[in-house]
Amino acid sequence: MRTARRVAGKLAGLLLTLFLASLLVFFSRFVVPGDPVRFLLRGRKPSPEAVAQVTAQYGLDLPPWQQYLKWVGGMLHGDFGRSLQYRQDVSTVLGERLPVTLMLVVMAGLIIALVGLMLGAVAALNRGRAWDRIILIGLTVLGAIPSFVGSIVLIAVFSVQLGWFPTFGSGDGFLDMVYHLVLPSIALGIVFIVLVGKVTRSAMVEQLTREHVEVATSRGLTPWAVLRRHVLRNSLGPILTVSGVLVAGLIVASTIVEAAFGIAGVGSLLVQSVDRLDFPVVQAIVLLVVTAFVVMNAVVDILEPWIDPRSAAGAGAR
Amino acid sequence: MNPKRLIRSAAAGVAVLLAAGALTACGPAANGTGTADGGKALDWKLTTKTAAAGGDIDGFTFANYSEPYSLDYAYAFDYSDNQVLSNVCESLLRLNPDFTLTPSLAEKFEHPTPVTWVYTIRDGVTFHDGTPLTADDVVASLSRHLDPAVGSSWYSVYQNVASIVKTGDRQVTVTMNTPDSQFNLSMGGSAGVVESAATLKEKGQDYGNSTGLVNCTGPFSLTSWKSGESITLTRYDGYWDKDLRAKAGEVKFVFMGDSTARVNALKSGDVDGSWQIPIEAVPQLRASGKGDALFAPSTAVGDLVISDLKGPLGDKRVRKALLLAMDRKGMLQAAARGVGEVTDVLTTESVWGDASDAARTAAFDDITSYQQNVAEAKKLVEEAGATGKTLTYVTAPIGSDFAVISQATAAAAQAIGLKLKIKSVSPAAYTALFSDPSAREGVDLFYTSWYLSSPDALEMYSVLRTGEFSNYGGWSNPEYDRIANEAIATDDPAARSELTAELQQITNEELPWLPLFEGPIPLFLGKRITGLQPSMAFLYYPWAATIGRR
Repeated sequence: MRTARRVAGKLAGLLLTLFLASLLVFFSRFVVPGDPVRFLLRGRKPSPEAVAQVTAQYGLDLPPWQQYLKWVGGMLHGDFGRSLQYRQDVSTVLGERLPVTLMLVVMAGLIIALVGLMLGAVAALNRGRAWDRIILIGLTVLGAIPSFVGSIVLIAVFSVQLGWFPTFGSGDGFLDMVYHLVLPSIALGIVFIVLVGKVTRSAMVEQLTREHVEVATSRGLTPWAVLRRHVLRNSLGPILTVSGVLVAGLIVASTIVEAAFGIAGVGSLLVQSVDRLDFPVVQAIVLLVVTAFVVMNAVVDILEPWIDPRSAAGAGAR
Repeated sequence: MNPKRLIRSAAAGVAVLLAAGALTACGPAANGTGTADGGKALDWKLTTKTAAAGGDIDGFTFANYSEPYSLDYAYAFDYSDNQVLSNVCESLLRLNPDFTLTPSLAEKFEHPTPVTWVYTIRDGVTFHDGTPLTADDVVASLSRHLDPAVGSSWYSVYQNVASIVKTGDRQVTVTMNTPDSQFNLSMGGSAGVVESAATLKEKGQDYGNSTGLVNCTGPFSLTSWKSGESITLTRYDGYWDKDLRAKAGEVKFVFMGDSTARVNALKSGDVDGSWQIPIEAVPQLRASGKGDALFAPSTAVGDLVISDLKGPLGDKRVRKALLLAMDRKGMLQAAARGVGEVTDVLTTESVWGDASDAARTAAFDDITSYQQNVAEAKKLVEEAGATGKTLTYVTAPIGSDFAVISQATAAAAQAIGLKLKIKSVSPAAYTALFSDPSAREGVDLFYTSWYLSSPDALEMYSVLRTGEFSNYGGWSNPEYDRIANEAIATDDPAARSELTAELQQITNEELPWLPLFEGPIPLFLGKRITGLQPSMAFLYYPWAATIGRR
């Protein structure tokens, strides 16, 4: 019962956040300078009637609140409006690009989880020793590499010099896509590996010095069992919290990587659409990212008590 | 234009087009490769022909600096759109690589009265779906430009059109409100494209986008458009013109907004070629041994548009002084590694093909040359009482040339006692300068690279008439308007060219825009392929059809 109430509360909060976000996302476009109709006509000499017709076609002649209602109403039916730059439904434009970005995020996520957790764990187990230092310094250096620099270096070495991977594109078919996305997902993952690695290390170090770990060790449990049941499990809280932020962060960071690798994903579409004043697309993508962010955090919040019952005890207060 | 004249214009050198967005300069996300060390001048020459293809090829890949917005001919009005569409859709006339116009889907045209153009539609032409081309298709295709619901980018070509009607089985007559020589000259571009009327009706709003595609008559059909990534064209076996039958089975265009990525793809051989490569990348592309970096003749001129004639630049002496103060050769060196030529006029010789010799002499020899002369420029500014006045220059992070030109202009202004404030805006806001008068408020000048879509210099000069949409500064000269209108109504090319030459002389003297330099289009052709005739006409001519194996 208590769990149900808590979940319901979280969901209500989620919906409220989404509603407020939709207001912000939609009305921010009226603050941005530039007239979408002027963009549609792209500097060419239009006839005055054409300006009026085009304005009406895209519903830009309605008062802002009516445009908002129309937009929200349409979205609830899966209609995100029409892209100004492509003269196509936004859902079509997004639908063509979403799979690549999701694939990229999933691959980067796997790399981050594997490498980040591993490095963090190795560092924690060797805390204060050479391996710990090497990993920490390595992570700090990696963390200082912006993804666009990472992309350029990866392309220059592995694509142009060695010729192991393609320089651009997302390929055709599943396996080809995986092949094409290897370098981009590494470039995308680097910064986040650092984040996960460091959080894992400090969470584990904290646990390793706790009494219950020492007790468990002294009881003669195998090191692996101690690590799994007493250290890792207790460290999962912070790691999970970071992961929630990470997924949304990955979608945002993919803008840079997608541009560098010439991948037609949601990220590169966002950058391009902002530049071209394609408001319907920008609004749809931003709302999508906000939704992903909010939902991920809600999921983490809801899962947390199962992983760490202590947080459930204090859930009412939070 | 005959070959001799082409060589002449080649010798004169034609325009640098780094930033390539041209008209609206909303173009390529620029020349990010390497630092502009401004260093060594590039060794370059114009190429109008590459060796003929050795035979057919399965396919090749070209990199496009941007995805087309639309392949609807009514909206195709930029490098990225037109370089693809030119291979798929054909017009009533054909603009050839040497900038001549010849019959295409119209096997002939007549001009029985000053206000009528009669096109005889070619027999035996089929669309890519196999249906035959009819006069009804022509009427439906051309009429779209007049439909306000379409909002055609080519409306200005049609502004004098009164009616477009089928007047015979294979005949279409266009009637104008006033005599307009420019209408027919524009039928070699997107304004003259013919699409199947049935397809237009069937696709409706989705016509020309990545799901609706197009159905035209060109040597290639548009078979797939992977949104955001690539467009694939396939040879059309039912193509009517045997001379331009496609040598490649397939042409793939990949979109690469990042110029570094584009150069890498060319260097690794993943991509066979690209138009408008960054000039800075030419040395490394040459060194890669993967193909040739070439320079195609262009119709573009880099200009500073004077957008406020009520401010200090309203005084002709100040405009003249600013141009005199500029080290344009140095600018060209820094902006484009010296590839191109400084010019004092707003058109290139390549668009004077039908001109009389007298007109050409008047237009290119009997003009004022603005050699750098800071002392005289300073004097002019003092005479005009403009010393100490501030000018606002708007630029955008579009290409390294944009940065070079804005800095050089600031230096020139400072040298003659003017202050120049550089305002950097986003590319979108910069594009708005070209369409939105309110965006130009408080802006004195900005840079653009302006290209022509028809083989007639009058296209340039008609936009500087009083009240024209692209006459951004609202420049007005009654004598100029009179001559321009007379020229537009003049059908004889030689007589028209002489009037146009007068317009070129007036603008050279009055400087409504400040001409900087002209230059070629840099392009890369990989070592697998050959047969291209490099030319600005790649925007309207099926250039990919002649490319085959080396």
